[in-house]
Amino acid sequence: MKQEDKLKILLPSLRGKERYIAFRVLSDERIIYSDLEAAIWNVLLDFYGEHGVSKLSMWLIKNLYDEQNQIGVIRCNNKAVAAVIAGLGLIARLGDTRVVFKILSVSGTIRGLK
Amino acid sequence: MQFFDLHVHSAFSEGESTVEQLASMAKELGYTGICFSEYYKSEEQVKKLYREIEKVKQKVRIEVFLGFEARSPKELQILREKRRRFDVLLVRGSDLRMNREAVETPEVDILTHPEFGRQDSGLNHVMMKLAKKNNVAIELNFRNILLESKNSRSKLLAKIQNNIKLAKKFKTPIILCSGAVSHFEMRDPQIMISMASQLGLDIKEAKDSLSKIPEKILKQAVERKNDSWILPGVKVVK
Repeated sequence: MKQEDKLKILLPSLRGKERYIAFRVLSDERIIYSDLEAAIWNVLLDFYGEHGVSKLSMWLIKNLYDEQNQIGVIRCNNKAVAAVIAGLGLIARLGDTRVVFKILSVSGTIRGLK
Repeated sequence: MQFFDLHVHSAFSEGESTVEQLASMAKELGYTGICFSEYYKSEEQVKKLYREIEKVKQKVRIEVFLGFEARSPKELQILREKRRRFDVLLVRGSDLRMNREAVETPEVDILTHPEFGRQDSGLNHVMMKLAKKNNVAIELNFRNILLESKNSRSKLLAKIQNNIKLAKKFKTPIILCSGAVSHFEMRDPQIMISMASQLGLDIKEAKDSLSKIPEKILKQAVERKNDSWILPGVKVVK
């Protein structure tokens, strides 16, 4: 990306406050990232709608997904934590595999999750 | 904070999972205790269930309680007579007559999903006042929300929100339960609390619905089993 295409980073006081939610997927079979991502987006879009999801500033962080232990991290804004967690509870299946989500921790930084 | 799920069905009644699978999942998700709310069958089968529960208690190391869910006025009458032998008495809501009978009966602890399968929310201000007077908790059942989708889910959520609004006005206790019939239908306490907060409870009220209110019901159950207990608030002092 050229230097002129990049936006200047906002001041910390102007940026939205973020929260990171760490969760574990309990299931009998292994869950791959793409299935998980699709299921989370689908359930949140179904439950809150496009306008509702736009307010969550939700993002599933790909490089933090641990496929071995099935631990993932979702980033959202600080006012949307309950909405995102409630949405995760509505995922009953990933493909044919039945799943249960366990919330491990919620933190303001990725380092704080550990 | 201690969390309890007081409405779970094992394979004894309509469930798909064993007592051990459900208790293990509850432990994994961070619950302090779980109550198997079964349908009443014969005395012999209930004794068998008690033995199984005792075994699981030792193995999984979680508090396990036994409750029964009445599905008809006749069943409710039978369970009222045997009230001291088990911990929690639930009444299956949805039928208006059962909803009314449940909130009028002081022996009842929980009225489960009063809005299930109805056009209306199943409770009005008179019934809410009665529930408050007789200390009957109104259940918010997560399984019903989980199994519905699209327009039927939105209608269900509207009815639940209506009941929550009335319960808050009349200070009627609300209890959060998974209503799970499989260990895959159980949900993390944080998920249950977050869902309740989306439906109109504030975070503190939602936490109490999964912690303080079930704790109070279980405390009463322990008192009721004591030989000196006669009625709520009346016991023999030696």
